[in-house]
Order: sequence, then structure tokens, then C-alpha cells
Amino acid sequence: MPLRNADRPLPIQIKATRDGFTLVPDATTPFQEIMRYMKHRLDESHDFFYHSEMSLDLSARPLQTDQILELRCLLAEKAGVKLVEVKMREDLVCTLEPARTRPKAAPQCSSPRNREVTPMIVRSTCRSGTRIESPADCVVLGDVNPGAEVIAVGDIIVFGSLRGVAHAGATGDCSARIWALSIEPSQIRIADLVALPPAGNKPTPKRFEIAEIQNNMIQVLTL
Amino acid sequence: MAGKTIVVTSGKGGVGKTTTVANIGTMLAKKKYSVCMLDADIGLRNLDVVMGLENRIVYNLVDVIEGHCRTAQAMIRDRKLSNLCMIPAAQTREKNSVQPEQMKTLCAELAEEFDYIIIDCPAGIEQGFKNAVAGAQTAIVVTTPEVSAIRDADRVIGLLEASLLRDIHLIINRLNHRMVKKGDMMSTADILSLLAVPLLGVVPESEEVVISTNRGVPLVHQRGSRAGRAFTQIAARLNGEEVPFEDESGNGFLGKMKRFIWS
Repeated sequence: MPLRNADRPLPIQIKATRDGFTLVPDATTPFQEIMRYMKHRLDESHDFFYHSEMSLDLSARPLQTDQILELRCLLAEKAGVKLVEVKMREDLVCTLEPARTRPKAAPQCSSPRNREVTPMIVRSTCRSGTRIESPADCVVLGDVNPGAEVIAVGDIIVFGSLRGVAHAGATGDCSARIWALSIEPSQIRIADLVALPPAGNKPTPKRFEIAEIQNNMIQVLTL
Repeated sequence: MAGKTIVVTSGKGGVGKTTTVANIGTMLAKKKYSVCMLDADIGLRNLDVVMGLENRIVYNLVDVIEGHCRTAQAMIRDRKLSNLCMIPAAQTREKNSVQPEQMKTLCAELAEEFDYIIIDCPAGIEQGFKNAVAGAQTAIVVTTPEVSAIRDADRVIGLLEASLLRDIHLIINRLNHRMVKKGDMMSTADILSLLAVPLLGVVPESEEVVISTNRGVPLVHQRGSRAGRAFTQIAARLNGEEVPFEDESGNGFLGKMKRFIWS
């Protein structure tokens, strides 16, 4: 998730768009600073970006060819990220990956989810303070306790009670869903929608519950 | 002889860590085990006050670790039980004056001499927590039936598991059975379903605790105190004895809970 700092622009922003991630370097920050920050972000996010594809938006800040190459190497080495295209101006996009076919006119509200990436499996209860980021689907074999966060690019499946924060479809995939034996979260997010649980007690579900987007709203269904 | 090293921790402050340490330590000593209580709350020591030993302090934990005195010199013997002693924390130093490695060495040294070493952990999850946990094999997490305390306990259990400490037990302190019955307080079952660690005991809320703390005499010395009896049972369970959970709330869930825990 791009962090926004109100007082100072970030050296480089990582924007999650419909087609994946876009890197937007700041117009004034020195290149070394950008590289340092990028490295830090990649270290910090562990394998959140692993095997994802990113594009580079240079419409605000032009970079030299060797700088682009340096950034591309960093992305590839640190996180296995492929830099697939560079956008010079709004109308001038050059593709670095010849094999890549742009997802043409993606249907509204969906992003290419890499189904081949294996889901992340967490084999313990997520206790308060735990933050789990998955580049694909995420399966938790245990509870997600209040104060814990699970963020996945794809679906989230919890074999236990979901009581913390869950964010499915973190890159904007509205078809992502959250499954849990019981959903009583502090907050659930799917794509860019946020839902808070209704006040008051709710009946305990018989089998499991699914949260998904219906009519642009997050609905929790009990089965 | 290798003693058992137990850290008593909670995350949140004011839930009763020090009271728990004082009572469990005293009770185990009454069972004729040699016990050393270690106050790791450097800068905010109060185990000595609860034990009523404040005026006997000459050396403290930091003196031992920095080599200003021998370990035996810093140990203060209890007024009633000769096989119970404590090492007080330093009041005038900071938590950073001790490193986890040094605590490990000290705990290993004490384990040669004592059956039980009980460490009073400071509140929070910073350096002081890391120090207190470093040398322990067993952890007791104390919580009260409040969401804030439970949230912190959950976090602490996660941190303990991350530091590969697997033997974790739970004490629920200050439970008010009347409020639980009315539905105004989380019940033992609710807390256990969230935290999912074995229960060591439930201590009822009681005024006697405040009185005994102020007098500097642990509750377990007192006959007929409900909280004292709860601590007695906790110490026995910690010692590996099988003590059935009392069904004070009037319904049968503790019986079920017991089967779940001791199975």
C-alpha cells in the first residue's frame, strides 16, 4: 500500500492500479535517495511484491537510461519484480517485456490476479500485532485475533474466527472474497471498499461465512 | 539440579504481575521448594514492597549483573520462609543497563541453586520485556477480563511464541463472578477462546489483595481468603499437581474447560 506522507512527498510512490503496481518517482528527490527508499520499501514489505509486475511512470520525473536499468536490477534482485513498461508521457509507453500482452480493456473492477502464484499458508493463529502480506491468496490455519492484519492480493481464507483486520484484493481486485468459519472482524476491506461490522450481537453461523462485494457494497453471507 | 525458570508477564500494566509473583513464590516456598524471585522491572521496582522487604535492600539486580557484588549478596531472604528469597530491581538505573544475554547467564546460575526462579516482568514489550523473557523456560501471562488487557496479552503471547517460548500458561486475575453472570464482564470461556493457551487459574476480584499488598504480606499466608486460595491452587498446578477447577460461576462450563485443558 502506498504510504502517504502529508508534509514531505515520498521519494518514490508505489501505486496499486488496475494493471498492477506503478512506480512514480518524485520530481525533485535525488536519484540516490529514490534508490535508497525503494530498497527500504522492498526490504520492509518482504515478499509482498514478489514476482509482481510493475510499470514506471516518468511523466513527472525523467530518469536516464542507466538509472532506469539500475532501478530495474534492484527490483529484480530484491524482490523478483519485473519492470515491464516505462511510461514517458501520457501517450508514450514503451514496453520492456516483449512477451507481455497488456490486459486489454480489462472488465471493470478487476485486476490480473496471478493464479499461478501459490497461496501463502499461515499455520498458526495470528495474534495481535502480527501483519501478514500475501502476494496471492492467503490461508490462515487458526484464528485472526483483534489487532492482527491479514492483507492479500487475492482471497483470504481463515479456518477459524476472523476478529482482526482483513484486506482481500489489496491491489484492487473486486472479485476477491474473504472466507472464515466466523467473521466478527474489527474491519474488513475488499479492494478499495471498507466495511465495519454492525453493532450488536449477531447469531453464530452454522458453517462458514463469506464476505464479498455485491452491488458495490461488502456483504457478509452466512452459509 | 536444574530449577524451573518462570517469567510472569502481561503486556499491560496494573493487571497483577507482581502480586502473582509474590503469591506463587511464597506458596511454592511453603511447599518446601527453594524459590528465588527476580524483579526485572528495573527503574520501577515494587516486588520488594509487596513482599515487605523494602528496607533490607543493599544490592540489586544491576549490581549483580555488573559484578559489583556476588549474586548471594543481593538475595534478600523472606521474613517468614527461609527457603524464599528475592533479588530486587535497581530503582535508579534504566532498563538498558541489562542485556538479554546477561539475564540468561544469571538465570542459568540461579537455576543451579534453586528449584524455582520466578521473574517479575515489566509492563510493555520493549527492552525490559526482552530481558525478563530471555532466561525463562515457562511463561505465565496474567490478564484481567478487560478487552485492553486481553489485547495486550494476545500480543505478548505472540511475542513469546516468536521467541520460541512454547510453555505458556494463563492466569485470569480480578474476575468478578457476579458481573460475568450479569453479562457485564467477559467470562473465562470467552477469554480462553480468544487467547487459546492453557489456563492455570482464575483469581476472583477481592479487596484482600489491596490490603495484603499494602501490608507487605502475600495473601497465601492468610487463611480463608478466596483470592489466596486461588493462588494456592495456581502454585499447585504450576508444580504439576492436579487440582480440579472450582465451579464458582454456578454453571458447568469450568468442568468442560477442565477436561479440555487437562486432556
